[in-house]
Amino acid sequence: MAVVRRRWFQTPWEFKESVLFTAAAVVAGFLIELATSGSGLALPRLPVNAIALSLFATLVLSIGLGFRNTPVVEWFGGIPLGLSLIFAIALLSLIGGIVPQGAVSSGSLAAQSGINHIFSSWPFALTIILFLANLGLSLSWKLVPFKMKNIQFILFHAGFWIALSCGIFGSSDLQRLIVPIEEGKASNLGYTMESDTPQHLPFSVFLHDFSLEEYPPQLLLYDPHSDKLLMNKSQAIIEVRKGATASWMGLEVLVLDYIPFALPGQKGIPQPADRSTGIPYAKIRISAGSVQRETWISTGSPVLKPDAAALGNLFLILVPGTPKSFRSAVTVQDNQSHEVMANLEVNKPVTFMDWKLYQMGYDEKAGRWSKLSLVEVIRDPWLPAVYLGFFMIMAGNILFFWNGIKRTESAS
Amino acid sequence: MIMNFNTAALLAIACWTIGALLSLFARRTPSLKIPAFVISFSGALVMAAFIAFYWSLLDRPPLRTLGETRLWYAALIPLVGFLVEYRWKIEWLKFYCMGLATFFLVINMLHPEVFDKTLMPALQSPWFIPHVIVYLVGYVLLAASSVTALHNVYMQVRHKGNDAGEAVSHYLALLGFVLLSFGLIFGALWAKEAWGHYWTWDPKETWAFLSWLAYLGYLHAFRYKIDSSKLQWYLALAFVVLLVCWFGVNYLPSAQNSVHTYTQS
Repeated sequence: MAVVRRRWFQTPWEFKESVLFTAAAVVAGFLIELATSGSGLALPRLPVNAIALSLFATLVLSIGLGFRNTPVVEWFGGIPLGLSLIFAIALLSLIGGIVPQGAVSSGSLAAQSGINHIFSSWPFALTIILFLANLGLSLSWKLVPFKMKNIQFILFHAGFWIALSCGIFGSSDLQRLIVPIEEGKASNLGYTMESDTPQHLPFSVFLHDFSLEEYPPQLLLYDPHSDKLLMNKSQAIIEVRKGATASWMGLEVLVLDYIPFALPGQKGIPQPADRSTGIPYAKIRISAGSVQRETWISTGSPVLKPDAAALGNLFLILVPGTPKSFRSAVTVQDNQSHEVMANLEVNKPVTFMDWKLYQMGYDEKAGRWSKLSLVEVIRDPWLPAVYLGFFMIMAGNILFFWNGIKRTESAS
Repeated sequence: MIMNFNTAALLAIACWTIGALLSLFARRTPSLKIPAFVISFSGALVMAAFIAFYWSLLDRPPLRTLGETRLWYAALIPLVGFLVEYRWKIEWLKFYCMGLATFFLVINMLHPEVFDKTLMPALQSPWFIPHVIVYLVGYVLLAASSVTALHNVYMQVRHKGNDAGEAVSHYLALLGFVLLSFGLIFGALWAKEAWGHYWTWDPKETWAFLSWLAYLGYLHAFRYKIDSSKLQWYLALAFVVLLVCWFGVNYLPSAQNSVHTYTQS
């Protein structure tokens, strides 16, 4: 810490100048945002953004190497400005972490000033550009001349530079489209979240079958007056299976029999049925004091009414389990006769040419009987660059961890 | 969380209380040192055993709800205290750590959660365990760093020299930062597989990024040789950002559509 009082703008510049400069950049960003009524920043797409980023990187590197002893350049690539910019990014992210993003109507102050789309706003963009310049300058000084002991610094900082710059400059090339497909049909139309007008995809997706597997149904006690489900004594979700028990105040329930797929039969006794049509049935014994009774209850389906057991003002009901997994059997093909058959499942996307296909959703009202599958198709040409950055950051971190241990060992 | 939890929790708290008392007595009677450690350590073992038991009961890793993650904190935080004592011969941290673990278990006893075996499809991923565990350990280390920093601030106020304490808070913050970085990137890689993109400024992501920036800022301030005693304040307060990230996010207006809000049963 400097003990002697330094006047404003007396070299070498330090924190005061850095904070002032950063604040000016953020204020300027908000002014541009207000002047453009909160239109945010529209980035160019490939190849323009790649050319712009390469030029920027070249400019930063050449300034760093050509003017490394110029005080202003030294300050621009130094820790005080870096710290100020880190805090500015943190502050803007804080706004983005509190104000709901993209939520308000376009006329409001939040939209005009950009705080409802902070991460595509001018103040954020300016801060990030300055931060990349700061980071790039400091990196240039560690890169040339190259020394092995700088490898940890280089991996972490270059990785961060690459991931951040490619993630942001490349965001304009990210394509995310939702393709709704019905069973037995094909579609090549994708929708964005914002627009109802579909876009034509360079391939089509044919849906053979959509299937959904549920967890076992749950046994619940329902109070129609308060519209509430009453929690049982053990505070557990009661998954229905043969022999399962549950108890509420003065009420004991035992599951005598459970058929996962059945249809109503004669005399109220359900008959096992095919998985595609059957619904879960459970035979339960209800004991309240000395009174016992046995009955069948079921979850119902879009075409079958559920069976509940009435207990005075309350109902013992069977509720379908939550989805355990769902998948779409699809064939993807383009007009150059590339063809892929695949099962799409959550967490298991499938790659086709430079696209990735994801199981996204289904008709939730129909649940297990949905004939509709929502497939999301995504293309992100910048992904390999961002991942390269991620892996460099992780490698740098491993070295950081390792050197940190060694340093404390030698210190103690 | 049912009856077994209360038994395990009370047993663990008893171990920590007796262990802490014994190590206070051990200052006069050094022969008590080993029993004190064994008993304190057993508290963490009890929690570890309970987690294993609960895992098998649930048929899924107990990492889905806030209450479940508190079990892990309760098991892991005391271990950091013991490690610091072993490595740097600093005794006081373990008392704070066992106190914090007790606090987490008491919260769980006061707010029993619904026992629910289900795991939504997006969480059924090989990334689930590494992502959450790396974060858990990271938070544990940063919590310990923050507690150490608070203690250091207290020592400053009382004008006592405490260089070793400052080294510990720094080193724990460094380790925590490394784990936060891994957690963040593991999360991004998982998000790409599950939701299609590695970064969507989901409120939890934003707050995780913020906490990461807070510690990134700390490491650079430290590197710039800013007075380490001033940075103790910073480290003590940085944990507030982590706390918001950890469970405060659920209550923010921005979090209505987050994929990360822990199930509140």
